Amino acid sequence: MPAGAAVTREILRVTFEHLLIVLAAVSAAIVIAIPLGIWCTRHTRAGRAALRVVDVIQTIPSLAMFGFLIPVPFIGGIGMRTAIVALILYSLLPIVRNTVTGIRGVDPNVRDAGIAMGFTPRQLLFEVELPLALPSIIAGIRIATVVGIGVATIAAAVGGGGLGTFIFRGVAMVDTPLILAGALPAAALAIAADLVFTIIERRTRRV
Amino acid sequence: MRKLVVAVAFLAACGRPAEHAPVIVGSKNFTESVLLGELVAQKLEANQCTVERHLNMGGTLVCDSAITSGALDTYVEYSGTALTAILKKPIANDRAAVDRIVAAEYAKRGLHWGPALGFNNTFAMIVRKSYAQQHGLKTIADLQRVASDVRPGFGYEFVERPDGWNGLQSHYKLTTKVPPATMDLGLTYKALASEQVDLIAGNSTDGLIDSLGLVALEDNEHYFPPYDAAVVYRNDLDKKCAGSSKALQSLANSIDDATMRRLNFEVDGKKRDVAEVVREFLKR
Repeated sequence: MPAGAAVTREILRVTFEHLLIVLAAVSAAIVIAIPLGIWCTRHTRAGRAALRVVDVIQTIPSLAMFGFLIPVPFIGGIGMRTAIVALILYSLLPIVRNTVTGIRGVDPNVRDAGIAMGFTPRQLLFEVELPLALPSIIAGIRIATVVGIGVATIAAAVGGGGLGTFIFRGVAMVDTPLILAGALPAAALAIAADLVFTIIERRTRRV
Repeated sequence: MRKLVVAVAFLAACGRPAEHAPVIVGSKNFTESVLLGELVAQKLEANQCTVERHLNMGGTLVCDSAITSGALDTYVEYSGTALTAILKKPIANDRAAVDRIVAAEYAKRGLHWGPALGFNNTFAMIVRKSYAQQHGLKTIADLQRVASDVRPGFGYEFVERPDGWNGLQSHYKLTTKVPPATMDLGLTYKALASEQVDLIAGNSTDGLIDSLGLVALEDNEHYFPPYDAAVVYRNDLDKKCAGSSKALQSLANSIDDATMRRLNFEVDGKKRDVAEVVREFLKR
């Protein structure tokens, strides 16, 4: 490992890469998972099937997932893109589940009151259900982000960069400082993300 | 409740301390190493040893630090790897000399080197057959012709070790433009076959080279040292299970290159169970 400033710069670069992977994946997962969660609450039986698929995705080991994705055109291949796609898939479960739980948890009386006031289904969703489900949804995003920061270290297994690069190199060479150079910034990122979400959750509760 | 009692009694029976602690057999994280670990394990079991398997453990240095610390009792290592990656000695090409140096150095570390199993699993620089034809590649030196656009993809170990990519580049005066994509070793074949990369570092005894339509480039300037597979075990092995070292010695020269390639293909190509392939091999 090179010494001094070069190391710091390298760690910062890779940490940034790591953050980019997680942010891209969780953002995409939010865009997919919240509508999917809402859809699940509207179609009970199909929704249950969809949730089961999301559950199963979670159980696929990351290397097997990469094996599937490498030959796939557009979304697969070698590099960061494949890592992001895998991470999106892994991030679906907590967000979809918490969206469903949040909406199902809305007090039926509140919903009935909305209907009695002449709300359209659309208004009911955006003005009653989603605002009330928001804390639960944000908790899901929080889990996806914090877990994602850990899981994103596997990006290095498919040439995707990120902090896993240090960890994989360190493991291959039994170089503990090198492993820590990957693991400690990842832990710091996870704690930082958790703090950010604590603040967000406090804000949303106040509304 | 009765079922529970039976289960607890059963577990207690299983957990009853054997006369000796189990012999712990390890392997690295690729098919051939797992096969050889299983071979050693079955050989020891045939010698009435209690065996605990820790196969698929990780790379070379993980296995080495495990065996030197006593977390492992035995695994299969390659002479060239022991020489360069573990002992950090300069690359040497003379087979007998490499074997002698490694055995002497291992003895100093409380480990026994050997028996040699009888095959040499050297690194193979592998490309797709179509790619080789298109660019007229037969040897590693020929890679110079495609140096400006060849896309290499390697496992982390090959990029880091002294007898790996950096050494190869300086030995063959290769200056490739695209930096290697580093990934999990097991994914490199998939990446090569699906044209995500053009050059990988596999093992010459890999069973999949032919069946995937790939070709290994000849190491025409003999850069890679010999990688003769040998069983490594701790000097106190016989104390854990009497007669172990003798049982392992009977494996000497029992596998040649072609046999190893075939065994690997049974697992990688035909997707057969490792333990079953080994059992069948030992029966013959």
